[in-house]
Amino acid sequence: MIHPALELDAVTKAFAGSPVLDRLSLAVTPGEYVTVLGSSGSGKSTLLRVIAGFDTLDDGDVRVNGRSICGLPAHERGVGFVFQSFALFPHLSVADNVAFGLRNRRDGAVYDPAEVARRVTEALYLTGLEGLGARLPSQISGGQKQRVAFARTLIVEPSIVLLDEPLGALDARLRERMMVELRRIHERLGATFLHVTGNEQEALAMGTRVAVLSEGGIAQIDAPDTLIDAPISRDVARLLSCYNVLTGQVAGGRFAASGMDLPVQRHASDGPAAYCIRADGIAVGDPQTPLPAGHVRVAGTFLASEYSGARIVGLFDVDAERPFEVEYYLGHRTPPEFSRNRVYALEWPAASALLFASA
Amino acid sequence: MDAQPAMADISGAAQPLKQRTHGRATAWLLAPGLAWMGLFLVVPLLMMVYVSFWTQTTFSISPTLTLKSWIFFFSSSTYLDALWTTVRVWLITLAATLVIGYPVALYIGLFVRNKTLQTILLVACVVPFWTSFLIRVVAWRPMLGTHGAVNIVLMKLGVITEPITVLLFTELSVIIGMTQIYVVFMVGPIAFMLSRIDPSLIEAARDLGASTGRILRTIILPLSMPGVVVGSIFVSVMVLGEFATPAALSGRKVNMLGNIIVTQVGSLKWAFAAVVGVVLTAIIAAVVAALLRLVDLRNEL
Repeated sequence: MIHPALELDAVTKAFAGSPVLDRLSLAVTPGEYVTVLGSSGSGKSTLLRVIAGFDTLDDGDVRVNGRSICGLPAHERGVGFVFQSFALFPHLSVADNVAFGLRNRRDGAVYDPAEVARRVTEALYLTGLEGLGARLPSQISGGQKQRVAFARTLIVEPSIVLLDEPLGALDARLRERMMVELRRIHERLGATFLHVTGNEQEALAMGTRVAVLSEGGIAQIDAPDTLIDAPISRDVARLLSCYNVLTGQVAGGRFAASGMDLPVQRHASDGPAAYCIRADGIAVGDPQTPLPAGHVRVAGTFLASEYSGARIVGLFDVDAERPFEVEYYLGHRTPPEFSRNRVYALEWPAASALLFASA
Repeated sequence: MDAQPAMADISGAAQPLKQRTHGRATAWLLAPGLAWMGLFLVVPLLMMVYVSFWTQTTFSISPTLTLKSWIFFFSSSTYLDALWTTVRVWLITLAATLVIGYPVALYIGLFVRNKTLQTILLVACVVPFWTSFLIRVVAWRPMLGTHGAVNIVLMKLGVITEPITVLLFTELSVIIGMTQIYVVFMVGPIAFMLSRIDPSLIEAARDLGASTGRILRTIILPLSMPGVVVGSIFVSVMVLGEFATPAALSGRKVNMLGNIIVTQVGSLKWAFAAVVGVVLTAIIAAVVAALLRLVDLRNEL
């Protein structure tokens, strides 16, 4: 039987009585790159700290290659941890930081200076840090610090690498470059990566699978495109932040929310529900034109648009808890000029909406 | 188009003006301190060096320059002994405060992560200073004496049969007393440096496979070095200049350079006291300079 590289079994952890992780289970196959998406305070960092051994479990088990590591202290687990704050040793040069694990680990320390130097050079090359070995952490940039943190963890060849919001401290441009680098490093090493982040774009771009953390457990784990197309709950749809979520009531095959009455395609039972529609699946039109067959329409007052380089998001007031977002990828479809406070028709195919009964 | 050069002109003129006022403000702010230090520190020190070359007769002193006092100091075994005693007591006390103080600082600075509790514990270290120096020193006598508490307890426990006599009125009692008083000056700076260590550094080292001993040696110790240096400077300066503790706890058997100065001043041998003063100042300056070479404090603090 082939064991998962990393297996979490009903992992439970509470801080001061309030549960952070509640019977969380997750299995990661060898060589996989799994991202964990969660809002701040959802316990993503705790999840990693429990696996690394910095925090102890209240209940459940953590297994690496089928072997439980719960009883082992952090320095005997062979699990690499990349800190959000980088945690570089300020008194050591870049090369000494990278060499730290090789020289100082309890099991299998490398004493031959030539061997250490060779592997440090290799790790610096892999992470694009050639020539910076003699610098101190205070003398390099944020992106370079991040690379040193990677190199320092990867040099000891952990079978599992845990990344705690590794790109969170970097600016947007650098983050995109590091995402490419990180994927390249993962491919070169073939190790199993578990990367937690609060940024849905990072999670979707990096992971071969994305696990959504919600209420102390994994709400859904799927390939990025599956996750985007078919989130299994309102919470998952919310976290992906590409859905407009309406809360209301289903009654007699129709969904009713404040001022809206929409036909429901699937067979839905009556009761409170959430109606989700993708922001890039909405067309904005003239309320006077006839509605195409199979489409639904709501009226929305244009508020503003948010421009962010490759895409533009139009915000419309539809009398719901939050404005409706209509997303345009520039070069894919060009948004018309909207005028402020004018009422537009927001249309989408009724079949494209997702409906979740809420508890 | 016209505005451009005009703007450049204004800013060009403003720059040196700003610098000039800045320089003048600096001078005014520093003047009182510099004047005070010059008048009451530099001038007296220079006077001391000058007086050490004056001619000393039994009851008077005259400003005729001579090397006699210096030659006397370096040819008298009594004074060279005092010099050696000072260095020895200093080194042992420094080592003792470090050995006793470091673990305490490690506990307060690293294991106690609650800032309030840290402060409470550091204040607790200062509690001995709430009594006067004299009372603290006098309190050691019934503790360490031949019929003192330590001996009574040890004899009752059957650890010893004869009272230990080296506990009081010896160099050992002087070292015990000084270590007790000065250890807090070692604990404070080290605990401060340790409390500034980011806990994730220790977690990172552990994650990379290092055991606790390794982490202590490769991460914690180097990062606390500035604290060790500052603490050592505090302790060194105070121990090297000591005269009260040796006088009270050694029954005047242990003479440090400070005790010599007190005696010489008491018998109005100003030139000779000045020689010892210059020697002591030179030693302290050398020790502080050597300690500062260990760590670049400007980078660390």
